[in-house]
Amino acid sequence: MIVRWIAALVAFLVVAGVGLVAFGNFSTGIDPGSFFDSEGANSFALILAVALVLAFFVYAVVEYLQTGSFASISRQFDTRTIVLMPLAIAFNIILGQAVGAALKIPIYLDSIGTILVGALAGPIPGALTGFLSNILWTYVVPPPFNSGIAAAFAVVAAVIGILAGLFGRAGWLRPRPDRPMRDLFAGGVVALAVVGFLAYYAYTRFYGTTFEFFNPDNTDLLFSLLGWLILLLFVAFVVGFIGLLFVRRDLTVAYVVIAGVITGSVAALISAPIAANVFSGVTGAGTDFLVAAFRQAGSDIQTATLQQGLLSDPVDKMVTFFTVYLILNAMARRTKARFPQGERLLDDGDDEVLDDLETPPSPQGAPA
Amino acid sequence: MAAVAVGGFVGPLLLVALGVVLPAVLAGVIGQLARLTLLLSLPIAISAVLVNVFFFPGGETVLLRLGPITATAEGLVFALEILVRILAISGAITLFYLTTRPAELVVDLERRGVSPRVAFVASASVQTVPAMVERAGQITAAQRARGLDTEGSAWRRVRGIVPIVGPVILGAIGEVEERTMALEARGFTRPGRRTLLWWPPDSAWERVLRWAVALAVPVLIVARVAGWLTWLP
Amino acid sequence: MLTLEAVSYRYAGARRAALRDVDLELRDGEVLGIVGASEAGKTTLALVASGLAPRAIGGTLRGVVRIDGRDVAAAPMHEMAAQVAIGFQNPATQLSGVTETVFEEVAFGPMNLAVPRNEVIGRTWDALASLRIEPLAERHPARLSGGQQQLVAIAGLLALRPRHLVLDEPTAQLDPAGTDLVAEALSHLSARGASICVTEQKTDLLAGLATRVAVIDAGAIAFSGPADEVLADPRLADLGVAAPSAVRLYRVADAAGLSPVARDRLTAALAEELDVR
Ligand SMILES: Nc1ncnc2c1ncn2[C@@H]1O[C@H](COP(=O)(O)OP(=O)(O)OP(=O)(O)O)[C@@H](O)[C@H]1O
Ligand SMILES: [Mg+2]
Repeated sequence: MIVRWIAALVAFLVVAGVGLVAFGNFSTGIDPGSFFDSEGANSFALILAVALVLAFFVYAVVEYLQTGSFASISRQFDTRTIVLMPLAIAFNIILGQAVGAALKIPIYLDSIGTILVGALAGPIPGALTGFLSNILWTYVVPPPFNSGIAAAFAVVAAVIGILAGLFGRAGWLRPRPDRPMRDLFAGGVVALAVVGFLAYYAYTRFYGTTFEFFNPDNTDLLFSLLGWLILLLFVAFVVGFIGLLFVRRDLTVAYVVIAGVITGSVAALISAPIAANVFSGVTGAGTDFLVAAFRQAGSDIQTATLQQGLLSDPVDKMVTFFTVYLILNAMARRTKARFPQGERLLDDGDDEVLDDLETPPSPQGAPA
Repeated sequence: MAAVAVGGFVGPLLLVALGVVLPAVLAGVIGQLARLTLLLSLPIAISAVLVNVFFFPGGETVLLRLGPITATAEGLVFALEILVRILAISGAITLFYLTTRPAELVVDLERRGVSPRVAFVASASVQTVPAMVERAGQITAAQRARGLDTEGSAWRRVRGIVPIVGPVILGAIGEVEERTMALEARGFTRPGRRTLLWWPPDSAWERVLRWAVALAVPVLIVARVAGWLTWLP
Repeated sequence: MLTLEAVSYRYAGARRAALRDVDLELRDGEVLGIVGASEAGKTTLALVASGLAPRAIGGTLRGVVRIDGRDVAAAPMHEMAAQVAIGFQNPATQLSGVTETVFEEVAFGPMNLAVPRNEVIGRTWDALASLRIEPLAERHPARLSGGQQQLVAIAGLLALRPRHLVLDEPTAQLDPAGTDLVAEALSHLSARGASICVTEQKTDLLAGLATRVAVIDAGAIAFSGPADEVLADPRLADLGVAAPSAVRLYRVADAAGLSPVARDRLTAALAEELDVR
C-alpha cells in the first residue's frame, strides 16, 4: 500500500521535474506589472496534469506487480458503475454538443456525467468517464454529435473526474437539510469568502493589467460592456447563491459552490495551454469571443485563453455540480447506497442500518 | 487502418494530401469526406477567421475599418494558418470514422488486450448517444403535445429544456439497477478475457503502415521543437 | 432440481422481510407458475432463486438455496449464470446495449463465460431455433418490437444453457401480440423439456403451460399444488389474483343455471372462439 503511494509520488515528481525543466517555458520572465509569468504558469499546470495521469499509471502497475490484480482500483468498477458510465458519457456528449453548437454562451456543460460518476463511484471511474467521453466524442461518435476538439482536452476531463471523486469521498455532496440559520449563515459567509478570494486573486493576477472595470481612460466600448457583464454575472451569482441557501435551507449548497469553483479553476489552468497551443484559442464555441476580446485588449494568446477559462470554467463547474447534486437528490436512497462510494452521499439524518444485521430494526419483519 | 489516426499538428497541406486525401481516394469515400469535413470544420473556421482577422493583436496593415473594429492583414495570415491546421485535424478525424466502424474499433482494441469492461463502456456509449437523443425527441414531442413550448425567447427556451432533460436523465438512471442485474445474470462479472466472435482482418502492409505513422509523429514533433522545419512555410 | 428451503430475505435498508420462510421446488422438466398480487414478492422470489439477491444487490438471506442438493451460497454470480438464468419484465433493459445484431446479442452470455468460439456459435443458433426466431438473427436488437425483444432476451438466456430458467412476468409490459409470441415460445420450450419457473399476474398464460402453481402472498407461500386445482381455487380472488378466463367463464355459466352438459359445451365453444385456454 505504502510502496504504491510512494512509487506514484516519485513518478509524479520525476515527470513534473523533467517536464518543467525540459518543456516549461519561463523565458518570458516575470512581468513587472503583474508579478506574474503567465506562459510559465500555463505550461506548469499542463505538465502537472500529465504527471498526475502518469503517476496513476505507476500506482496501478505497482499494485499489479505486488498483488497480481487491481483490487483497490477495480473495487471502484462494479457492474453498476460500468452500466452508469456509458449513460454518463452520453450525457456529457449530448449536453456538451448541444450547448457548444446551439447556444452561443461561454459555458460548456459537458461534465455532468463525469462529476456524477466521480461522486457516486470514486475518483478513478470519474477520471475514466471524463477521459473516455472526450476521446469518443472526437474519434468514435458520428456527426452531428462529433467534436473535433474534445479529444485534446481529455486530460482536463480526467482531472475533473478525479476532483469530483475526491469531493464525493469527502462527503461534500451529502445533503444537510434544515440546518439552523446560524449554520447557513456561516456556510454562506465561508463560501462567499472562498469565491471572493479566488475571484480577487484571479482578477489582480490575471486581469489587472489587461482591463480594469470602469477605467476612466478606457475608450473601448467592448471593454465597458465586458466589465458590466462580469459584474452582472457576479451579482447574479451572489443573489442566486444566497437565495438557494436560505430557500432550500440546505447547507450543502455552500459546499457545492466551493467544489464547483475549485474544480473550475483547476480545469481552467490545465485547459488554457491546450487551447492556446493546439487551437490558437479558437474552438468554435461561445467562448471564442471572450478570448478574442482579451487579445484585443493586449493579452498574448496564452494569457487570453487563461483569462477566458478563469471566467467560464468556475461558473460552468458550479452549475454542473449543482445539477449533479439535484440529480443525486432525485435518486432513491437505496439506489445511491449501492454504488461504491454511494454511502458517502447519504445524509446521516436517517438512522436506518444498511446491509448487515440478522434482526431487522422493526420487530414485525423479523424472519422467524 | 486501425487505432492510429493521430493527426499531425504540424499542419502543412502536404500532410493533408498524403495522410487524408490519398487514403480517402483509395477507400472511395473522398466525396463524403469533403462534405463532412467542411461541415465539421465550418463553425470553428468561421470563428477562427472572424476572431483573428478582426482582433489580431499588433496587426498594423489595416484592411478594413468598421467603427471600433479593424481588420488587419496579419490577422488574415494567422487565420489562414489556423484554417489549414483545422482542416488537417478534422479531415483526419472524418476519414477515421468514415472508414472505421465503432464496433470494429472496439473489437480490435479488445483483441489487443483492452479490458472487456472498458470495451463494454466504449461500445455502450456509442449506442447510447443516438438512443438517448431519440428518447429526448419523444419526450419533446410529448411535452409539445401538452402545450409546453420550446420556442420563443432565450430564457423560455432554457426553461423549456428542464422538463425534457430531467426525465431523460432520471429515466436512464432509473434503469441502471435492472440493467446491472441483467448483465450479471449473463456472466458479465466473470474475470478475465472473453470469447470474441469476430475481429477485423489485419494485413501485413497495414501493420507496417501503422508503425510508420506511429514513428513519424514523434519524429515530426521533435523536428518541430528542434526547429528543423522552419524552412516550411 | 432447484430448491429453496426456509428462505427469508430482506432488502438492504428495508425494515421488513420481503420473503418469509419460503419452501419451493423446481423439478427438472416442469413448469412452475408463481402467482400473487402486486408487491406480494414475486420479483423478490425470482431474484433469490437466481442468486442475484443477495449477490448483486445486497440484503440479508436466511435459509438455503440448493441446486441438485448442493448449497450455492458461496458460488460467485458468473457460476450461477450457467445454473439458473433469470429474465425480467422490461425487454429493453435486458439487452446488453453493446451489440448490433440479434445474433451477437444472444451470443453475449456465452462469450462472457469464455465458451469456445465454435460452441458459442452453435449454442446461439440452437437458442434462436428453439424460440423460432432465426429470421431475426441479422436485425438490430434495438429496432425490434417489444415481444420480439423479449424473445431475444430469453434466447440470450437459453444460450447460457441454464439448467433452470426463471422468468419474472415476461409478458407484463407487452401488447397482446407480444404476449402471444412469448406464450407460444414458452409452451414450445416446455414441450422440449426445459425446467421453467414463471411468475405472472396474468393467470391465463399459466393455464395450460404450468404443471404446478404456487400462490405467494405478503412474502410467504399461501398454498400450492397442481396447476388446474390451484387456478380453480376460490381463495385466489381473496389474494388479489384473477382466475383464468376459462375458469371465470365456467363459473358464470354455472351461476346462470345451465345444465352441466350445456355449461361444458358453451365453455369449450367460447374458449375456442375467444382463444383462451
Ligand atoms: N429494492 C428494494 N428494496 C427494498 N424493498 C423492496 C425492493 N424491491 C421491492 N421491495 C419490497 O419488497 C416487497 C415485494 O416486492 P416485489 O417487487 O417482489 O413484488 P412483486 O410481487 O414482484 O410485485 P409486482 O407485481 O408489482 O412486480 C414489496 O413490499 C416491495 O416494496
Ligand atoms: Mg415484480
